[in-house]
Amino acid sequence: MNIFWSFTRQAFHNTAIYRFEYWLQLVSAFLMMYSVYWIWNILYTQRPGAFGVELGQMVTYGVIAMALESIFNPGQGPQMYISSQIKSGSIDTDLIKPLDFHLHMLAKNFGEISFRFGTIVLPAALIGFLFLDLQPPATALNGLSFAVSLTLGYLVLFSLNFLLGMVSVLTIDIRSIAWTYNSLVRFFAGQMVPLWLFPGWLGGLANVLPFKCIYSIPLSIYIGKLTGAAVWEGLLFQAVWVVVLMAVCRLVWAGVHSKLVVQGG
Amino acid sequence: MIRVEHLVKEYKQSKRKDGPFSAIRTLFSADFVVKRAVNDISFTIDEGELVGYIGPNGAGKSTSIKMLTGILVPTSGIVEVNGIVPYKNRKEHARQIGVVFGQKTQLWWDVPVIDSLRLLKDIYKVPDALYKRNLDLFCDLIELHQFQNTPVRQLSLGQRMRADLAAALIHSPKILFLDEPTIGVDVVAKDRLRTFIKEINRDQKVTVLLTTHDMGDIEKLCSRMMIIDRGEVIYDGDIELIRRKYGEYRTLVVQFERPIADFDVAGAELVKSEGTKKWFRFNRNEASPSELITQIGARFPITDLTVEEPEIEEMVRSIYEGKSVDAKVV
Repeated sequence: MNIFWSFTRQAFHNTAIYRFEYWLQLVSAFLMMYSVYWIWNILYTQRPGAFGVELGQMVTYGVIAMALESIFNPGQGPQMYISSQIKSGSIDTDLIKPLDFHLHMLAKNFGEISFRFGTIVLPAALIGFLFLDLQPPATALNGLSFAVSLTLGYLVLFSLNFLLGMVSVLTIDIRSIAWTYNSLVRFFAGQMVPLWLFPGWLGGLANVLPFKCIYSIPLSIYIGKLTGAAVWEGLLFQAVWVVVLMAVCRLVWAGVHSKLVVQGG
Repeated sequence: MIRVEHLVKEYKQSKRKDGPFSAIRTLFSADFVVKRAVNDISFTIDEGELVGYIGPNGAGKSTSIKMLTGILVPTSGIVEVNGIVPYKNRKEHARQIGVVFGQKTQLWWDVPVIDSLRLLKDIYKVPDALYKRNLDLFCDLIELHQFQNTPVRQLSLGQRMRADLAAALIHSPKILFLDEPTIGVDVVAKDRLRTFIKEINRDQKVTVLLTTHDMGDIEKLCSRMMIIDRGEVIYDGDIELIRRKYGEYRTLVVQFERPIADFDVAGAELVKSEGTKKWFRFNRNEASPSELITQIGARFPITDLTVEEPEIEEMVRSIYEGKSVDAKVV
């Protein structure tokens, strides 16, 4: 656990250097939250009752989803780091460390995420509560389950990102794949549009894919769209995916390591 | 300490297609050529040795180092370092070795050196006392304190290399792998790096395997040298022997006013002639450059001249072509 804390400290040192970027991120997070707030307000005036939940719930869902963008942005995951290390050949310097590569990437990414959670998501959420009518969690139990669910969601996203990073070991470049992947994640995770608004077969598909672990389940728990047994089902669904994906990551890495080619000298 | 037997590493290299739409066709099916980077090499290195590992670019030096450090998995053969098979127990192995890649840095680019060292301390679980002792040692030997608070991206190359050495040694490893540790570094900084490596080897009994293109590194540091070319070890043995045999030749390059016919000079051999330039090879124990210059200058007007020292690559080539230096040749 110590190592997770060390990487968080390192992320702090790393990011503290680019203060301007930090403020830009905070401002852009707030702008996105504000847009979502207005979109739902307008849609609810046009067609009240068409979206399955109260306006307050929907705004809370949408605004928190936007605040979480700064930690869940698939463009900043471990796959980008792995891909750039592979491209420059610097992956050696990661492999000479006495760390399991998969856990090393997790610790490193978790460090960065915790740092951004504390410095961007929390302040952004605070602004949301003050100015954008954010509601507290539906019940105390929902709040607690939300925290657990968010962590599980993070692990699912990390694993998917890591697997994409493994693709980059073989193809060297993943920029074009990454773009498609990012849109897929955002769409099927229900970041912009909650999954319960998806029509028929699309909703069915989204319901079995692992992406909904990232935004949809935690946020549905938070706003109380899921209650009682449904909360436990959601958490179980996430836990199963975490276990499966973690195992797949470890298998794939073992295979990839034996085929690894290091670029340059 | 290090045992390598019949080690082989093959790469699959994708081959580009020729002809129309080659780039598009490559997307659908790729042809591969198998390239043998390391071809059946064997050697052992004892504890406390400081061995130079040299050879031309693409000879397979870095690939072997990467197999010894557990980064690459060999195609076949045995690698064992201090009883550990690197690629099987990479984590455990990483604790007992230190690695410096001259061309890359393992330090975090944006943060001060000391922050990187602190993170490495946590990663390697270095006890506080040892960490402090090592930092003191680095301050003494490579003046770490002068740049420990500077971000890595602002360091000079010489400083960065010292910082990387410090990073590789922070956990007091038993074995140190140095892949071109003096590349691109100026003379003064080079000297400092060499002294440091030498002292670490002597005082802390760290076994060192070093690759380089700089004959100076080998001369100043190593007693034993291994030469690798085209994936094979072609020489493994005493450095004195090879230096006596090949290191004593110099080449005198003379530029004349106008093109002249080839001629003989006592004590030197004409090896190349091109336009107004001629190359004379001589043994520095048998002839002195000043004598040669007087001799040549007396006959033809000279406009410019230089004396070239043999490059490692040249020695390697002469060994490779000759293939027999002594009975010691593998």
